[in-house]
Amino acid sequence: MGGRYLGPVRGVVFFAILASLPSFNLAHWILNIAVFTLMYAVMSSAWNLVGGFAGYPSLGHAAFFGIGAYATALWFQHHSISSGYEPFQLLPLIGLLAALVGLPVAYISMRTRSDVFAIVTITLLFVTQTLAFNLRSLTHGAQGLSIAVAPFSAATFERPFYYTLLLLLALAMGISLGVMRSKFGLSLAAVRADEDKARGIGVRTFGVKLLSFSVSVGLTAMVGGVWAYYEGFIYPQFAIDPLVTIAIVLMTFLGGRATLWGPVLGAFLLETAQQTLAYSLGGSQFYLVAYAMVFLLVMLLMPRGIVPSIQDGLRRRRRRATVDGTGSPEGRSRPPSAQDRTSATAMSTVKGHA
Amino acid sequence: MTALLEVDGLAKNFGSVRAVDGASLAVARNSITALIGPNGSGKTTLFNLITGYLQPDQGRVRFGGRDITGVDAGRLYRRGLSRTFQQARVFPQLTVQENLTVAAGFSWRQLFGQRMSRADRERVGQLLDEFRMAPVADLFASELSYGQRKLLEFAAVLMSEPTLILLDEPTAGVNPVMIETMEQHIRERHAAGITFLIVEHDMNFVMRLCNPVVVLDRGREIFTGSPADVQTNPLVLDAYLGS
Repeated sequence: MGGRYLGPVRGVVFFAILASLPSFNLAHWILNIAVFTLMYAVMSSAWNLVGGFAGYPSLGHAAFFGIGAYATALWFQHHSISSGYEPFQLLPLIGLLAALVGLPVAYISMRTRSDVFAIVTITLLFVTQTLAFNLRSLTHGAQGLSIAVAPFSAATFERPFYYTLLLLLALAMGISLGVMRSKFGLSLAAVRADEDKARGIGVRTFGVKLLSFSVSVGLTAMVGGVWAYYEGFIYPQFAIDPLVTIAIVLMTFLGGRATLWGPVLGAFLLETAQQTLAYSLGGSQFYLVAYAMVFLLVMLLMPRGIVPSIQDGLRRRRRRATVDGTGSPEGRSRPPSAQDRTSATAMSTVKGHA
Repeated sequence: MTALLEVDGLAKNFGSVRAVDGASLAVARNSITALIGPNGSGKTTLFNLITGYLQPDQGRVRFGGRDITGVDAGRLYRRGLSRTFQQARVFPQLTVQENLTVAAGFSWRQLFGQRMSRADRERVGQLLDEFRMAPVADLFASELSYGQRKLLEFAAVLMSEPTLILLDEPTAGVNPVMIETMEQHIRERHAAGITFLIVEHDMNFVMRLCNPVVVLDRGREIFTGSPADVQTNPLVLDAYLGS
């Protein structure tokens, strides 16, 4: 059956297309859009680990994006850039640092749930932003920090950023896939469904929550580090921006929480649309209205997002086909036929890869 | 021989309400003990105190000779003390198979293993066969009937190989056929060496299955004895009918 190979093939094709994209001599503005799209795809995937799989809607992820950005900026206040690749080599360290910072944050904030957790984490975001504004000796406050311009040739300037982000996307999606395929992900799903019950049947709820938050913010901070280097100049209001949080949450909701492709799909749809609109309509704030519209439409039409809605549709169709095919009126109470089994394995394959 | 579970003077207040007021009871190894009492007599609260879902204000709980007062519910579960809930609690977005797998009480290392390994499938398969739920193995728990969910919840706690299971109203809200099925599964597992403590309102079910019967009233045990004695005891009649 082909279903088993569908997932890997999809993944290989997806990354092959993305990897070959820069060699098509695309205009800089298109590559610029691609870089930002990848940033949001990584962050949505990372957010999905906590907001999707564990069901803890963090609104504080932009704080860790900012921590990553400032970590890069501060490091290169004191170190020089020669080959241009040093900031990328620093990324694993930044990710680790943010993941460590994330542990105590999760330890405290994850004692609350759902809406309270969202409020607690958004508070963290504003606290971090206020710190960035006010710790002037460190961050230069509202004046911002600058990083040396990367010494890449103008013709292929975006490529190192693009490929680094593509690697991060592969990492984020690889971690997501690993989570979905492991008992770790099964435990997170139990936490999402009924945390008290999960705790009562021996699921290590607190541990898995903490770990997924930590990994999630670590990935987010690495994107922040790339972003700071790409922009070359960072200000508190852009490095720690509630709109970044809103964007990644919206993208994940649009594509589908707790799925592998949902957050990526959401980011590709929304970020490309937003950037393209910004280019064609000029740098207005019109896209904020569009965000609100998308949020409303998602909630009205597909409250669970695109990917889960498609999966449900496929599942229903397949089940109808199975029932029609055997012509049995008893439906599901009859013993499973061979056909049932294949459809069940196909189903779990779809679930596993989506 | 000491009892498997010993509850000694447990008390719990919710504000000014004394939900459990110095309750003591013992569950003998390999018995099916019933816990009955009028509505509001503190049966479920007592369950919550024993299984670590609530912290008692006073009193001790011993399980297999060890003091387990205030120990976390998850740890107790891994040590072999499981429970089900009055309203069946399963994970609706997980399949029947996954609902069982997740209840196996993983160690940290197992967390990074396959979501459903071959060993998991075999173990789950056996349990599903036993419970005649193999045809629904790949359905989401949300697609099951209420009775099937109760059965699933019961099957799931067996995954941890418990020594003591506390069932909170296993027959509430399920049809008569399912009640018989449930009874049969309890008997089979009892024969295999598992001890039960059951809260139940269906007196026929209790009389058929359980011995001894502990009667709780206003947060305190008032009588312990055989099913026949319970039916004629004036204290018990008084608690149920009022004087």
